[in-house]
Amino acid sequence: MTESEKKIRAKIPGEDTGIEVRRSLCAICSPSHHCGVDCYVKDGKIIRVEGTPEHPYNHGKLCTKGSSLRNYVYREDRIKTPLRRVGQRGEGKFEPISWDEAYQIIAENLNRVKEQYSAHSVAFFSGYCKWYRPILHRMAHVFGSVNFGTDDSTCVTAKILGDKVTAGCGAGPDMAHARTFLGWNYDGYYSAHLSVAGVQKLKERGGKVIIIDIRDTPASKNLADLFLKINPGTDGALALGMAKLIIENGWADMDYVEKYTYGFDRYKALADQYPLDKVAEITGLDAEKILEAARLYATNGPACTNYSASALVHHINGFNAHRAILCLSALTGNFDRAGGNVPNPPTYLHKPAGFKVREHEFRSDRYPGGQERIGAERFPLWNQLYDEFQAVDLLRQLEEGEPYPVKAIFGMGMNAKMLPETDKLLAAMAEKLDFFVNTDLFMTLTCKYADIVLPACTSVERGELKAYQGGYLTYTRPVIPPLYESRSDVDILCDLARVMDLDDGLLKQGYEACMDWIIDGCGLTVADLKASDLPVKVPVAKWPAEAGKVLSGGFKTPTGKFEFYSETIAAIDPRYGLDPLPVYTDSLADQNDPETREKYPFYLCTGARLAHALHSRIHETPWLRSLRPDPTVEVHTADAARLGLKDGDRAALSSPYGEIRMVVKVTSKVKEGVLMTLHGYTEANVNELIGRNHVDPYSGFPGFKGMRCNISKIQEA
Amino acid sequence: MKHIFVFDQDKCSACSACMMGCLDQNDTDLAAGDRCFRQTFDTEVALEDGGVHCAYISAACMHCADAPCIAACPVGCLSKDPETGFTVYDNTNCIGCKSCAMACPFGAPRYRASDGKMVKCDGCNIRVKNGLQPACVRACSFGALTCVTEEEYKAGGGVKACSALIDQLGLRRR
Amino acid sequence: MNKYAIIGFGGAGYQAAKEIRRLDPEAVIDVYSDTDTGPCNPMLTTYYVKNAIPYEALFPFGSLEDIRRDLRLQVHANRPVTGLVPGERKILFDGGEASYDRILISTGASAVMPPIPGLDLPGVFKMRTARDAVQLKKRLDSGEIKSGLVIGASWVGIKIVEDLVEREIPCTLVDGAPWMFCVAAFEETALRAQRDLESKGVRVACGQMLDHIEREPDGRLTAVMRGGDRFTADTVAVCIGVKMNTGFLRDSGVAMNRGVLVHRRMRTNFEGVYAAGDCCKALDIQSGTHRNIGVWYNANRLGAVAGANMAGCPAEFDANVLVNLAHYLDYDFISIGDVSACGPEDEVYEYEDEKYYIRAVRSGKQIKCINMTGTADSNGIVKNAFIKSIEAPEAGLDIKTICFLKGKGFPDGFINFLGGKSLD
Repeated sequence: MTESEKKIRAKIPGEDTGIEVRRSLCAICSPSHHCGVDCYVKDGKIIRVEGTPEHPYNHGKLCTKGSSLRNYVYREDRIKTPLRRVGQRGEGKFEPISWDEAYQIIAENLNRVKEQYSAHSVAFFSGYCKWYRPILHRMAHVFGSVNFGTDDSTCVTAKILGDKVTAGCGAGPDMAHARTFLGWNYDGYYSAHLSVAGVQKLKERGGKVIIIDIRDTPASKNLADLFLKINPGTDGALALGMAKLIIENGWADMDYVEKYTYGFDRYKALADQYPLDKVAEITGLDAEKILEAARLYATNGPACTNYSASALVHHINGFNAHRAILCLSALTGNFDRAGGNVPNPPTYLHKPAGFKVREHEFRSDRYPGGQERIGAERFPLWNQLYDEFQAVDLLRQLEEGEPYPVKAIFGMGMNAKMLPETDKLLAAMAEKLDFFVNTDLFMTLTCKYADIVLPACTSVERGELKAYQGGYLTYTRPVIPPLYESRSDVDILCDLARVMDLDDGLLKQGYEACMDWIIDGCGLTVADLKASDLPVKVPVAKWPAEAGKVLSGGFKTPTGKFEFYSETIAAIDPRYGLDPLPVYTDSLADQNDPETREKYPFYLCTGARLAHALHSRIHETPWLRSLRPDPTVEVHTADAARLGLKDGDRAALSSPYGEIRMVVKVTSKVKEGVLMTLHGYTEANVNELIGRNHVDPYSGFPGFKGMRCNISKIQEA
Repeated sequence: MKHIFVFDQDKCSACSACMMGCLDQNDTDLAAGDRCFRQTFDTEVALEDGGVHCAYISAACMHCADAPCIAACPVGCLSKDPETGFTVYDNTNCIGCKSCAMACPFGAPRYRASDGKMVKCDGCNIRVKNGLQPACVRACSFGALTCVTEEEYKAGGGVKACSALIDQLGLRRR
Repeated sequence: MNKYAIIGFGGAGYQAAKEIRRLDPEAVIDVYSDTDTGPCNPMLTTYYVKNAIPYEALFPFGSLEDIRRDLRLQVHANRPVTGLVPGERKILFDGGEASYDRILISTGASAVMPPIPGLDLPGVFKMRTARDAVQLKKRLDSGEIKSGLVIGASWVGIKIVEDLVEREIPCTLVDGAPWMFCVAAFEETALRAQRDLESKGVRVACGQMLDHIEREPDGRLTAVMRGGDRFTADTVAVCIGVKMNTGFLRDSGVAMNRGVLVHRRMRTNFEGVYAAGDCCKALDIQSGTHRNIGVWYNANRLGAVAGANMAGCPAEFDANVLVNLAHYLDYDFISIGDVSACGPEDEVYEYEDEKYYIRAVRSGKQIKCINMTGTADSNGIVKNAFIKSIEAPEAGLDIKTICFLKGKGFPDGFINFLGGKSLD
């Protein structure tokens, strides 16, 4: 082999090898991340992907998922053309059609439903990837429908709502100035890889780390000074117990409490119901450890807390558990203080970047009104605070047709596996919908139920606007042209706006014009951004976020204070039984009758993160799948011994709603009596086990991480 | 300049990004049954005192200074790159006898079913010669896996190296 | 300036020369060889026969000329050494003698052809040298061989079986011992290996001692056994072992027990005279006794160690343990440790699944012998664990080794048997 051949084989970029490095971003995970990537391109093909060292967000780092980006992009089962269903819904039989034909069919069918029923009977729904959501959201409204919904119906929104009713906004950990990090459900190694460096630095400068989790993790091993391995679903009780300890021991910041908070006395009375011995009993923790955690958090100088998007709020008591933890921050004077948790409002698509854009206006200026959104009646708090429909109620509304029928769904990346009783939902869609269109990269379970399936492209095949921490904006350029006949999601939407002749000049002008409208006033245009393949510092951006602005300017709550007692909730009709205080209830409260207890003695926790998986997005990416080839249930050593289960055995997991089969992994990382699984497998979809009504009444979030279940060994024939 | 892989098990999470980087670099054909040169281990080890140690480890060829696989190969496929110090190979004459696998205390050599030949991590030798980091190191977000020059290694004390394991097994010339 | 002589130029001799050159750049190094080729690896012969490698690859370090140039050697090709005066460090050869500061005996071993009638018949062959390989390959390539008989289920014998099976030549394997691989395998392991061979169409007969070989009227050969059984084939391979090439040392005073006995640093009983490779018996760290371990790797390591010591740099090979490895027809077998040291009072571990068969024996915490099949990729890890258990039986396995073993799919029971819980 010649030197040059060796270099080509080693993928060394350069003129001599013809390998060029082009920049884009990885959009496999949530838009609150999205790392910059260097794609090595030769002859129009990506041959290698690395993190971009000069990128201000990820500084060259990529996680497990991002490191497999090439394998994801070039999956062999990418959808290649627009498809029209030729078999039964769910059967997966399709024929290729042209884009023009697909657009015509979509336009005709959506308009027909609009005429026969109403525009609201067309639901617009977005799963991953979320970058096009402002466009889709606006399009729903311009079309005339109030029903724009997303998988935020089961992710992060409960936390956002909890933050809103309590403090008026969320607040992120100010890791750089903290002395203590309360890593509640924190495992950055698995779900926020860039956050680990901050924790490591805190430790290096002598700071303390408390990790609270239901399982042993790399964070509990590598980072924790104090690790509380808590019983799942009992976090709210721990937070209230810690509050009692902090108040009793005089560790509370009473000046802060008096000046900036509301409802302290009622909160204190609630906390008083959680003495240490009781909390130790509920949480399964040593009393000394709880005391030590409370002491460390409250007395070691500024302390910041990790609030997770899903780990807690995926319990039916999760909304209040999150509020209870949030309250500790105000109780100790850490909310909006340096080294505590500092509000940093998002600029665009959940990303804080230190400046404002017109995202909300773009999405909601054309809100049509005239009807209540799906889920409005059942989840009033959600409906009042969030401008999307609550998709957890979609199944009911499909089946019952009340208060009005849903007859068409325009889906983009819609993924029914993210909702409870998936098969029932799909069956209802198959039966009740006049028309269903979905857009995706791959022929998913949900796509198989669609009448028209459109092939989208990945982030490296398109250009998109993105804001980044540090005051940055970028507009990426395609690294390669869209594969096959796939198109960028936003191009599909804007094409459709033209084909349907929607009454909106902006959408019809296309994505770039929309983005220019949104970022107008920031001092840069899309054209400016396109001149650079790296994020550009925005002139008007103020970074980092300064602590104290909310304290001086007032909380955006009814009382203008941090509300231990939420007046927003207090204003909700009492028939819903929502408590203005962050009360603790049992996370299996709806399943504790003796019969269910006996039949389903295990606590099923689904979807706790691992590094190689995210929802169902990458289960079929071969490199990642090779790390854990089988859908797996983690069983505690003692339970496994009792049930005669060993590694590699096949086991059936059952709940009152269904049964799935998984492969057993015996571990002592989980607690006895707990079963832990990933979600999103088509062949072992845990959401078949989760009941549609097993939801948190405040947020509508399903109890994905706390559900009764049983496990038994499958005797192979 | 000789290079040394350093592994810090207090920073590893077995997240396997290193493996993804390795697969991406080496175009490993998993569908054909080939396996990644690098392997991660998320293993619970019972301790003498009754406790359990959660080990998170990433391992591939350790590029032992005195690599036993080199002497073990009956056809002389394996050698040291004089510039980088990595254990490299030319498997043209490989007979698939697995003698290298028997010599290696770490299970690093892989037997490739598709052509019956041995393959292994070559430290991304050409990348390193061109001033780039090995793919696995490049993919590690946590500083668990690094690749340093011999000088840097000595200056750093080097206690946490996979090289420490090599020292322990006497695989470095003294 | 030191003068070195290396007698015999196989793997051990080459590694010694290389190490001496590295440590003593000024040295004069004389190499005496009974051939004019580069060092040949005897285990490659059967691979050459099956077309896995070209002829040149039989000489893994290159040609004699290249090596001479690279290592700056004075090579005496085709000059067998006929005698040694160890006290004077003098060597004798046909037509002369020479004295040195240091001498290495690395004359290797040869295939045994015992004095049995008929072994000189055409069509009976052995397998050790490049020439043996060329001859067999030529005969097999000619297509005239329609059936084969291999006498001796040794490490070479099994590879000849493979050569024949891959050419679809019906083949019988006979062995004098009660079961295959008798010097290394437990009976339980050997029976599995035998069943595997039989499933691949090889006829296997153990407990068959060869009496003589005779020619049939049709030109075929028949091996007649002491028990009277007769095995007939077109060609017969005799693979019943090797003998160490130490004849020229007879009565020299160099301590021997068939092989040359050496200390840990590869020195013989004479100052300045060293031995390494297949002609010597080095210290086996398991038994603490002298033993020849006829494996390419060990020969090379011992050669390098000898070279270092000869050049004045003390070195030892601390991992010299009995290992036998056979890899053939998609089957692999390894034995680590001394099967003959195992007795009925010892503790036995046994495991079998679709992939692995493991049988291991220990006494207390001291592991004596491990047989495994199907584990080729992982053999080094287990061997390493075995070596460490000899060095420190109480220490248990280190965490990394446990991870590696689990990662390769070894059962917890075996890991516990090897040293179990970790002290880390």
